[in-house]
Amino acid sequence: MQRIHIKKKWLPYLLILPTTVLICVFKIGPIVTSISESVQSSKVDGFTMVNYKLLFSDKTFWNSTWVTLKMNLIMIPLQIVVAFVMALLVNAKVKGITVFRTIFFIPFCVSLTISTVIWRMLLNINDGVVNSFLGLFHIDRIGFLTDKRYALLSVILICSWRGCAYWMMFFLAGLKAVDTGLYEAAKIDGCGFFQRLFCITIPLLKHTFLFVLVANTTANFLLFTPVQIGTEGGPLGSTNVLMYEAYKAAFSYSNRPRSSCIVVILLIIIGLICIVQNKALAGEG
Amino acid sequence: MRSRNKKRLCAAALYMVLVLIAFVSLFPILFCLSASLRTQQDLTAHLFPFTIRSLVPETFTIQNYIAIFREYGFLKPVWNTVFVTAVTIAGGCILNALAAFAYTCFDFKGRTVFYILVMLSFMVPFESTAIPLYGIASRLKLVDTYAGMILPAVADGMVIFLFIQFFKDIPLSLVEAATVDGASWPRIFCQIVVPMAKPVFITAGLMIFMSQWNSYLWPLLVARSKEIRTIQIAISAFSGERTIQWTLIYTATTLSIILPIAVFIPLQKYYVEGITAGSVKG
Repeated sequence: MQRIHIKKKWLPYLLILPTTVLICVFKIGPIVTSISESVQSSKVDGFTMVNYKLLFSDKTFWNSTWVTLKMNLIMIPLQIVVAFVMALLVNAKVKGITVFRTIFFIPFCVSLTISTVIWRMLLNINDGVVNSFLGLFHIDRIGFLTDKRYALLSVILICSWRGCAYWMMFFLAGLKAVDTGLYEAAKIDGCGFFQRLFCITIPLLKHTFLFVLVANTTANFLLFTPVQIGTEGGPLGSTNVLMYEAYKAAFSYSNRPRSSCIVVILLIIIGLICIVQNKALAGEG
Repeated sequence: MRSRNKKRLCAAALYMVLVLIAFVSLFPILFCLSASLRTQQDLTAHLFPFTIRSLVPETFTIQNYIAIFREYGFLKPVWNTVFVTAVTIAGGCILNALAAFAYTCFDFKGRTVFYILVMLSFMVPFESTAIPLYGIASRLKLVDTYAGMILPAVADGMVIFLFIQFFKDIPLSLVEAATVDGASWPRIFCQIVVPMAKPVFITAGLMIFMSQWNSYLWPLLVARSKEIRTIQIAISAFSGERTIQWTLIYTATTLSIILPIAVFIPLQKYYVEGITAGSVKG
């Protein structure tokens, strides 16, 4: 693209100065400190991997890694499928669809914090309305967030209640960009709904799917709020995700090196995801 | 005739699914609203067994709303959140727009290096660095200050990208003509660029609003004291207290979601435009 060369050489630098300084201090700064903290120890001089060794020999860490992975493996496909179906539904041209579209957006306006606070009360074993409702069908009360069997699933559902509304917006934006002439042509050729869906819509939305997949994975690896408010990592560590473990290490056990190691591992995971995404996009040209 | 029946059946099925999802989307919010308008006794007494009274109050009262402001000082966190969000929006819109203006219109030495910084800030989500950021904030004496909540949220690669996407479409010849006419750069920015970019300012402002109003992890770390905490932190702390009446928590949550919903619904189009710009750029 053509850009302007100007005589006042300092002007562009002045314009980018505030954001550059802020990014360096508040973004690059923490990345650098966490890396340096993770490879230093009060017991050893200079560079050391002792913190990582300690972390890797710790069962709690491996449990957290497993919980984080398990959560992602369930949550990401669930959210992508539900969000895509919701987008397809509100993209239908029927009466009153804009009202439904707006309603579907609303959970996104409720922060994850508030969503968790609300759902924690709704799902409560003693005074929760969900258990009260299930009582109609003679189902015994369930400790959604206090029972080891259900806690992770409940966290996933709380996140998805809000998350699906958010990711739906991306799919809807993608669907709006699809040329409707293609559908008409396919209809005339006698293609059914599912044929059109799998042969036209989904291939055309490949970029959107890839973006949502990557953004959703990144966000979920950093999931913290519903665990901190909803379950505090419990019961029995069944929802103790990596972010929460890093938070506890730093602020409950004052073990900064351990926390830094986990943060660095999370940053590496995010970096890898970004590289894979760029490769996938570049592959298409 | 047959295909017409089939069509009707399809439409009926579609509406059923739509209503079902709408119900799931709205139920928690409507339940909050309803529970905030009843007394604690009314709520617990009608919970088991499940009847329509479990959902709808017997008598309506606004007592909870009065109590939450009078006895629990809820006005303070509301004010804190409004203040922090407003300043972040103002600062974020201005500073990110200026940077984007420089990246789109000018050629300068080191542009690529600085641009990589922006990319990095776009790729690395805020949450991932929040925990180590605490150490930096405490060294800069930002803990328990408004500045501590605002400053780290101002510069945002996502918002810079958004502005760049938009500024790209402004014809450079227009800018160049203005320079030939002797217009100063602040004037060019304020009188040519900004008026053309009004929609993107709404989008950027809305995106900053949604993320800042709803942010949790960072305020939790940096602003714990009662004087300065935001709604999200206040409600989370509030709901952790064992003795608190649930109807009051329902009231607080209802209050906290009114504004985001009221702002988002009329402006949803702008938000969708914003995330589309972001996802195209990837």
